[in-house]
Amino acid sequence: MSRMSRLLTLAGAFAAVAISSAAASAQTGADYFKGKTITYIVATSPGGGYDTYGRLVAEYMQRYLPGATVVVKNMPGAGHLVGTNAIYSAKPDGLTIGTFNTGLIYNQLIRHSGVRFDLEKMSWVGKAATEGRVMAIAQQSPIKTYQDLVAQKQPVNFAAAGIGSAAYVETVMLTAALKLPIKILTGYNGNDDMLAMRRGEIIGTISARSTWDPFVRNGYARYIAQIGGEQKDVPQLAAMVDDPGAKALIALIQTQCDVARLTAGPPDIPPDRLAALRTAFRMAMEDKELLAKAEKIGLPIEPAYGDTVLQMIKEALRQSPETVALLADSLKKK
Amino acid sequence: MLETMFSSLTAMLTSPYMMGLMLLAVAIGLVVGVTPGIGGRLSIALAIPFVFGMEMIPGAVFLLTMHAVNGTSGQISSIMFGVPGDGDDAATTIDGYPMAKKGEAGRALGASVTASGVGGIIGAIVFAVMIPVLEPVVMAFSPAEFFLLALLGITFIAFLAGREQIFKGLIVGLFGMMLATVGMDPYTGTPRFAGDFLFLWDGLSLITTVLALFAIPEMIALAVKGGAISTVSAETAKYSYRQLFEGVMEVPRHWWLAIRTSIIGAVVGMIPGLGSSAAAWFCYGHAVQTSKTPERFGKGAVEGVIAPETGSNAREGGALLPTLFFGIPASSGMAVLMGAFLILGIQPGPTMLTERLDLVWTLIWALVVGNLIAVTFLLFIMRWVALLTFVNGAMLVPFIVVMAVVGSYVSEGQWQNLIVLVVLSAIGYGLLRFNWPRAPFVIGIVLGKIAEESLHKALELWGLRFFTRPLSLILIGLIVLTIAYAVYRNVRPPSTRAQETVAP
Repeated sequence: MSRMSRLLTLAGAFAAVAISSAAASAQTGADYFKGKTITYIVATSPGGGYDTYGRLVAEYMQRYLPGATVVVKNMPGAGHLVGTNAIYSAKPDGLTIGTFNTGLIYNQLIRHSGVRFDLEKMSWVGKAATEGRVMAIAQQSPIKTYQDLVAQKQPVNFAAAGIGSAAYVETVMLTAALKLPIKILTGYNGNDDMLAMRRGEIIGTISARSTWDPFVRNGYARYIAQIGGEQKDVPQLAAMVDDPGAKALIALIQTQCDVARLTAGPPDIPPDRLAALRTAFRMAMEDKELLAKAEKIGLPIEPAYGDTVLQMIKEALRQSPETVALLADSLKKK
Repeated sequence: MLETMFSSLTAMLTSPYMMGLMLLAVAIGLVVGVTPGIGGRLSIALAIPFVFGMEMIPGAVFLLTMHAVNGTSGQISSIMFGVPGDGDDAATTIDGYPMAKKGEAGRALGASVTASGVGGIIGAIVFAVMIPVLEPVVMAFSPAEFFLLALLGITFIAFLAGREQIFKGLIVGLFGMMLATVGMDPYTGTPRFAGDFLFLWDGLSLITTVLALFAIPEMIALAVKGGAISTVSAETAKYSYRQLFEGVMEVPRHWWLAIRTSIIGAVVGMIPGLGSSAAAWFCYGHAVQTSKTPERFGKGAVEGVIAPETGSNAREGGALLPTLFFGIPASSGMAVLMGAFLILGIQPGPTMLTERLDLVWTLIWALVVGNLIAVTFLLFIMRWVALLTFVNGAMLVPFIVVMAVVGSYVSEGQWQNLIVLVVLSAIGYGLLRFNWPRAPFVIGIVLGKIAEESLHKALELWGLRFFTRPLSLILIGLIVLTIAYAVYRNVRPPSTRAQETVAP
């Protein structure tokens, strides 16, 4: 028995114990939150996906933590690092939780200098969505399918946000692994990439699907491939490649897609309080009003809870040295 | 089209519910505006839970009005205490605060409030007029043009500093540009001058630098000097409603400037990617550059108040265009607004024009009516507000310093910014004490960043050929003319200069 699998068995056993005792301890945990204020840190500035999800989750978690007040605090900076470090170093009393980009898994894998956290040790409350990635191509481009893109003789301009951002890392890794004829242009933050696509400066991008759906619905672009996600209208990228290394990378990106819009707290939150937070999160995710709101805004809800999320994170952090090397390489400019 | 235009207006004006909502929105927007550090973005994000469940049109009108009047009240503290609420209010500080020191706070406030209203309304008109040509105009501006526009803005430094101070102005401007390089390098992704200090990775906080350069030094100076902000007493300044009214009348007196800067503001707002502070600074620069007596600027020229205020309020009308019709928000504030629109069931995109024309017109009217309400209200209360500039400094300084410190902290929620505030305040006070210009610094830091990022993009996209794009050539021409004019003014025989300064 390898050390890893022994650890896994141990984790499994803990999980079983935790689940059986969860119902009882959640009650005592919930009592603790009466009359207390929980700070929910969002690692971006107001507006945008993380903020919208964060405020929604905070609002409805409060509903299921009787007597508690959940306050959202925006802590933007350094590509989610500032907010995440703040959550990680907060007092583990259950009164500080928050949300940040799952893409920080990449930063942790390569031991990025700004990382002052260990995702594996964090107290995982849950995740709200599955966020499929898409390859979007400008409507005016002759590239209609993934095969068209592969067959291009001249490199095609693809936009990415700042260097080090999750979207950038994924674009660089896929370009290298799939040997795509792509030239990556960086610094397209916010919605700059959409406008650049309308101007014809850039032809494509690899990005979160929910961000691009309205743009595609308006007829400005089309999807040629997708990674993860629930929708079936776009061919999955994994089905179109054969190279095992590339497949491994796509699988890594897919785990990122699966754990989107997460909620976590610092390590070592007392188990009863964590159980109460998880229960509140679960009840929030099942709340009809929240689901109706989310649907109206176009936020997909695809929840998972507690230890399931922890397992997903652990799995994503277990990468071969080759993948880590590729990652590290992609973060160095040319 | 005309029928929808007027039916939306009457529907809005005759509904007590809508008017009540707008009054509430104006009140909230103005309060948020005067509080430094809390931007319009946050106020909309906080208001979202309340508009959920509202009807589409009232909800949208409420949010847009709140957002649009935000900038109208922001300049109050910039003018009276030299405490700008955010980056674009800083432009108003440069001439607004010297006016307050001369005992003309009422005049400055009257002019700035009116200018804001006029800017907001002209912005709405530009919005309506530009709808048909939105596409070609927005598409004409690429990173190449952004770079040249930023460069054009930087050349305004030559005018800002005044004749004798041109070298001082350049030094301060370059210092600002140097500090703009602090943070993550947009091209290589490595932190510059930031090391492991994560709070510096996104660059220096603009609001902190602005507070440090303007607000704190002025307060130190006031404390050292003693007395009130206004150097003349209320009696000598003949302070009354009349002074406020004179300020209001300054806007029609400079009507041509107000229209030009409003249009500049609206167009800058239309082009996503230029950043929200750029509009006010372009307009300020334009006012200085086209003035016959540029040396009055920075010492309390009323045009220096009118130009940035018209520009920053007109920007909102412009910024709404790509947000509504492309579904591409032109500023961070608009991004939040668009998120809220989605919640209300409004689907921004090209179909808005064909399917929801009533909503489009209602929003345009909301900009106009909201601005009118805000101006009326502010002009009414300004009489008492402006009196504060005649109050003894010993009572004011502590409050204002606290306000500045809170603003610096709240804007990003990081205590490290307070250290930056202290360090830069020392530099700011040094500049003030030894009579060096400070405006070029903010221009350097705001436009330096845009210039760097867009230059990288333009070079990657087109290499050096980007200079030969048609619009680029026009902009290069403008830059050359600006520099030539600045040089000419400097080498002109002193006799003609003397004449000019006699008659300001």
